[in-house]
Amino acid sequence: MQDLIEYIAKSLVDDPEQVVVRAHERDKSVRFELTVGEDDMGRVIGRGGRVANATRALLRVAAARSGVRATLDII
Amino acid sequence: MSDLRTKLEVIAPSVEEALAKGAAELGLPEEAFDVEVLDSGSKGLFGLGSRQVRVRLTVRGQKREARDDAPDAEPPSPEDDEETLRVSHDTVSKLLEHMGLKADVQARWGEISTHSGIRPLLVDIRGKDLSILIGRRGETLTALQYVARLIVGKELRKPLALVIDIEGYRARREQQLRRLAQRLAHQTIERGRTMSLEPMPANERRIIHIELRDHPQVYTESVGERDLRKVTIIPRES
Repeated sequence: MQDLIEYIAKSLVDDPEQVVVRAHERDKSVRFELTVGEDDMGRVIGRGGRVANATRALLRVAAARSGVRATLDII
Repeated sequence: MSDLRTKLEVIAPSVEEALAKGAAELGLPEEAFDVEVLDSGSKGLFGLGSRQVRVRLTVRGQKREARDDAPDAEPPSPEDDEETLRVSHDTVSKLLEHMGLKADVQARWGEISTHSGIRPLLVDIRGKDLSILIGRRGETLTALQYVARLIVGKELRKPLALVIDIEGYRARREQQLRRLAQRLAHQTIERGRTMSLEPMPANERRIIHIELRDHPQVYTESVGERDLRKVTIIPRES
């Protein structure tokens, strides 16, 4: 799951080195926090949050495969 | 190259929807367009007298102007074509791998669309238990295609009409929607009043519009906003 978010974010930003994904696990759920460089925020969020929502949709599949629930915040 | 459309004017309730409509029309990702708002519309009062927005979309990277009579640009080299296939294949494979899915991925060039003059790149995903990857109304598939388009477009530095299908889902769904359109058109005529379909995404609404485009007795319109936007089938005045 974490590598999925990392792969998508690093592929879309101009500065992959600033991409950081942190995972906070609690019981059967994981909350991911994605941070990117300030100038790259738009690339991982997208117009109307479209990129973020598409990423979340793919994260849901990855989470289901691992039998957990996962959420993604971009901060 | 006159049939290669690089500019498009779209009228819709909002700029976002105009962009989505244009992108669906030409089969390109939304990022492929420069947007120029010609008329920003007005909300009106309580929905009365509201005016829709009008935007002009220009496909980016199409420097050739309409009046430019210079010879057509060189067609892409076979090496470029190969690279595009490879990058598309690898991107989708990596996404699936990171999602914990095992599947067979194949990339190939599709037929040039007579409508848009654009040649789509088709990626077929085959394997067991992939319904989770299609999702409700194909929403997960749409998300996968969107992310893959963005990544491939960024790597190749050009927009690409990348279309992903999973176990022939798109073709099946299209057949289903076309049958549905014909059945409801029939009911519309019988009952002599407007019928509406369930809300559906832009690419599915487009299939309905196209299916009934030349129907002598009914015409179609999309109504509603965002997730609730749906096609209505309306009897023509006889």
